Amino acid sequence: MNKVIKNPLSLIGLVIILSILCLAIFAPIVSSNDPNEINVHSILLSPNFDHIMGTDALGRDVFTRMLYGARISLLVGFVSVGISTIIGIIFGAIAGFYRGLTDAFIMRFVDIMLSIPSFFLILAVIAFLTPSIWNIMIVIGVTSWMGVARLVRAEFLSLRSRDFVLAAQSSGATNFHIIIKHMLPNSLGPIIVSFVLGVASAVLVESGLSFLGLGVQAPTASWGNILTDGKEYIQFAWWLSLFPGLAILLTVLGYNLLGEGLRDTFDPNKT
Amino acid sequence: MLIYLLKRIMWMVPMLIGISLISFFIMHLAPGDITSNEAAFNPKASEESRQKLRELYNLDKPIAIQYGLWLKRIIKLDFGESFASHHRPVLWEKKDQNGNVVPGMIQKALPITLLINVITLLIIFLISILLGTTAAVFKNKIPDRLITFSVFLGFAIPGFWLALMLIYWLGVNEQILPISGLHSLDYENLSSIGKFIDLIKHLFLPVLTSCLSGLAGISLFVRNGMLEVLNKDFINTARAKGVNEKKVIYYHSLRNAILPLITIVGLSIPGLIGGSVIAESIFAIPGMGKLFYDAVLMRDFPVVMGILTIGSFLTLFGNLIADISYALADPRVRKGLM
Amino acid sequence: MNKIFFLFVFLFLISCSDNNKNYQSKNYEGKYEKHYGGTLKNAMVGEPNNLIAMIAGDSASSAIAGKIFNTLLTYDENLNLTGEVAKSWKLSSDKKTITFYLNTKMHWADSVPLTCKDIFFTWKVVTNPETRTPYASDYQLVKKAECKDDHTFIITYQEPYAPALDTWATLHILPKHKLEHEDINNTFFSRNPTGSSFYKLKEWVPGQYLSLETNENSILGKPFISKMISRIIPDLSSQFMELSAENLDFMSINPIQYKRIFPERKDLNNNYELNKELGNGYTYFGFNLQKKPFNNINIRKAIDLAINKQEIIDGVLLGLGFEITSPYKPETFWYNSNISKTNFNPDEAKRLIESEGFKLNEKNIYSRNGELLKFEILTNQNKQREMTAVLIQRRLKEIGVDVSIRVLEWASFINQYIKTGDFESVVLGWSLSLDPDQFNIWHSTQNGPGQFNFINFNNKRVDKLLERGRKELDIKKRKQIYDEFSEIIYEEKPVIFLYAGYGLNAIHKRIKGIKNPPPPAGTFHFMEKNWYIPSKFIRNEIN
Repeated sequence: MNKVIKNPLSLIGLVIILSILCLAIFAPIVSSNDPNEINVHSILLSPNFDHIMGTDALGRDVFTRMLYGARISLLVGFVSVGISTIIGIIFGAIAGFYRGLTDAFIMRFVDIMLSIPSFFLILAVIAFLTPSIWNIMIVIGVTSWMGVARLVRAEFLSLRSRDFVLAAQSSGATNFHIIIKHMLPNSLGPIIVSFVLGVASAVLVESGLSFLGLGVQAPTASWGNILTDGKEYIQFAWWLSLFPGLAILLTVLGYNLLGEGLRDTFDPNKT
Repeated sequence: MLIYLLKRIMWMVPMLIGISLISFFIMHLAPGDITSNEAAFNPKASEESRQKLRELYNLDKPIAIQYGLWLKRIIKLDFGESFASHHRPVLWEKKDQNGNVVPGMIQKALPITLLINVITLLIIFLISILLGTTAAVFKNKIPDRLITFSVFLGFAIPGFWLALMLIYWLGVNEQILPISGLHSLDYENLSSIGKFIDLIKHLFLPVLTSCLSGLAGISLFVRNGMLEVLNKDFINTARAKGVNEKKVIYYHSLRNAILPLITIVGLSIPGLIGGSVIAESIFAIPGMGKLFYDAVLMRDFPVVMGILTIGSFLTLFGNLIADISYALADPRVRKGLM
Repeated sequence: MNKIFFLFVFLFLISCSDNNKNYQSKNYEGKYEKHYGGTLKNAMVGEPNNLIAMIAGDSASSAIAGKIFNTLLTYDENLNLTGEVAKSWKLSSDKKTITFYLNTKMHWADSVPLTCKDIFFTWKVVTNPETRTPYASDYQLVKKAECKDDHTFIITYQEPYAPALDTWATLHILPKHKLEHEDINNTFFSRNPTGSSFYKLKEWVPGQYLSLETNENSILGKPFISKMISRIIPDLSSQFMELSAENLDFMSINPIQYKRIFPERKDLNNNYELNKELGNGYTYFGFNLQKKPFNNINIRKAIDLAINKQEIIDGVLLGLGFEITSPYKPETFWYNSNISKTNFNPDEAKRLIESEGFKLNEKNIYSRNGELLKFEILTNQNKQREMTAVLIQRRLKEIGVDVSIRVLEWASFINQYIKTGDFESVVLGWSLSLDPDQFNIWHSTQNGPGQFNFINFNNKRVDKLLERGRKELDIKKRKQIYDEFSEIIYEEKPVIFLYAGYGLNAIHKRIKGIKNPPPPAGTFHFMEKNWYIPSKFIRNEIN
């Protein structure tokens, strides 16, 4: 952790992440407005004292929607990457632990998944299922686990012949026990890095889906759909696209900077 | 080498079957079909006419049989015709009985997407090598931090937001770049240099926006690769021999650090093709991404399956080429294969 | 490295900065001579599928095909039926036979004469069961059709069919000599048509644009503007950018652009004329009448009273629309203007709900023996409908009705929910045809899967009226029938009419001859005959 704080870039990342997280968690305290409170008499007001980020096409307070949108966007990020990480760990662990035919089979499957343009895959599946926030999380999760799987497999392959694994095996521990208790904790570093980087990508994917009208559905606010709502008025109601754009930018930047910092910390090959 | 190649190509067969299976069954997650979009909910459209359509396209047969029929055809590279009422062939142009040529959908869209992606990749590579090397040389110093920060910034900007702002600035306010489209309307009347400039002007913004998101990954890859190589024995030997530092960096190290980039080419293809959906709809470029998105919304199964299959095939092919060129370029790998 | 990059940018900036700027803040006011020539540019969101409109079914295709093909009859700018290919028509005394007398000396674009044979052929094609068209049913009612000579087309219906003439004002006449040996569903003609109207297709660049040029053989005379280019620009924000840069001559715009952006932008105001016309459809809030609580008329009435329609019009359309009380274009003949609208009255709404035995529970939601007053509004991805649903949700929540919203992409919306009847309420729109017949939407037999009475409206009196209205050819009696029909619908509230919005357009000021305010038939009605570009404003462009 010390190393992370010493690296100015990852420190910046950490600060960004934590502050946005706080704003999202304490949204009701930060703003007393209701994110869905409509006022047809204050449509598209530019930022002012009452509405520090202005209002949208239904007169809703953009600042409040940004706060609640942060919850949704981060939720999509965390849950979808959580799903992909779990799937990735399962496949990677099995492949790396059992090796041989199982490994070959799983890795071929990974290769197949990797060769299908993933955004196409996401689009097709989301369009065919009903677009709901849960489906979005599941679909992003199910289509982005391949990197984690490869990573975990590589770690497991190298851990497999380590002394402590062999010792556990000779003492009669079950395979499941060895994987969970001995091998997984030792490969946690890279998994955390890929998790943090994954959140950044998932936030971007969500905004892209919103642009295409397949993202989180109205009236729920997410950064992606606030930004998309604003795109038609980008020449006029700049506040509608600037703030969500910046929020996405900062968040993605934050997670990436932190992720890179963590990578340097965990990677024993680099000094 | 030959055996390696054969083995490599043999592997592609089960993978292609796997891909076709996945794409086919994703299609059938869909409860909707083309007939539902017929006449866009026109009050006068009758149910019988929809049933007619369904029968024509085998939509009433069991999925397994539909898959079989489809696989049989795509082996012959016959991806069928679009469900939409223009009935254009999905992959390649065909002639009707009077000799009129009906253009293929992928045939028209793929070169455009490929062109944009190849240019994008080239620019990303060039800039990444420069940035990555600089960052590695100044490891943990200000230039390194600055570069890392800026490439992440590029990655983090939502592409369509940036694209619209650039369009507004350079296209509407300054009017120095075209806003959308692939060619100007008077393209046919331009000289060949004029055509070239026209194309570059139209591609400038789309390429710029897609470059930004790709820069981060690859320049960091170069940076880390460089750092690894710079610590290697042969570099230290070279240094010890008194070869000057510049030469160490730009000749010995860079060569070794760039080599693995070749393998990245293959891996980047699906991301680039997939990422083209949004840019193509903003810039009104008739490429693969737009084609795919429209087909998904229209439930145009032949087109969706065609693009998924062709897109994946291209990736496999790209990977193959990348692996082979890597093998040819790297003496160690080359020896191992002989 | 940065230097190289900026050099790169710089080079481009220099190489491109010559054109486009030459007619800024030009003055377009004044009177100008009519002039033949010039190019009109517009954009469409999607690419046409097929220029045979009866097969294509998408709006981009009909828009282009409408400039290439003619119909037997047409509507004039006051929405009265008049001849186009036919110069006149006669109804037999038993009201079952219509005789069309065609114009003479008409030719296709390839100079082949256009005669009754082509019209008969078109009728054959549209009614052929092999033809994949959704529009066949209207023409299948014709029992017998014949050409008495080259210029007399006679059709006989089984029984009098009032919408008959309207159906002949929408069917594009196709050339027999080009199509008789072709498979209409799959013919190259659909990409390279031969028509008889103002324009012919010059070039179709897939994914990019279609261009039309004057058809010298046009049976309606030469259009003033000699070339039209329709670009395919899928994203509406990009389209508006193109409009801002004066690369498009007209575009349909939304209320925010109309009311907020244009007034603030001098350049846009200098270059574009704004234009407002009655729209072609209305938006409604419809109920699945088979489901609770919508099978109860008092609940439906209460919902109606609780929705503030003016607020929706102000919020969603920025005031650019109006309340309607019957499913016809307001201010037109068929609209029943005698129905007085219900006013926003939440207290009365609460009273009605309570009269049905509902009481507010601890969460301020009405319930009756554990049955909560709670439902879902379904709508498709359409910003205005989404916003409408949000406003309805808010108002209903205030009186104690718990409403959730689900927004869906069109294909799954129709297939998973509407066709299967798996919905509680919808915010949707109907477009309006010029004939008052609404049999498909309201008749109780039209409620099968995929049919249009998906709300399951079932009213004996309405059924009778709709059946009678189809057979009644006396326009006064017909008006009475549909007036009564409108009254029942408004009384029964199977749907709540929300608003009819204005169609808003921005049209470049270099184009003259546009009627503003627009005639009842709309801004673009017969633009070929009226619009022209004065020679002064014709841009330096190739033709």
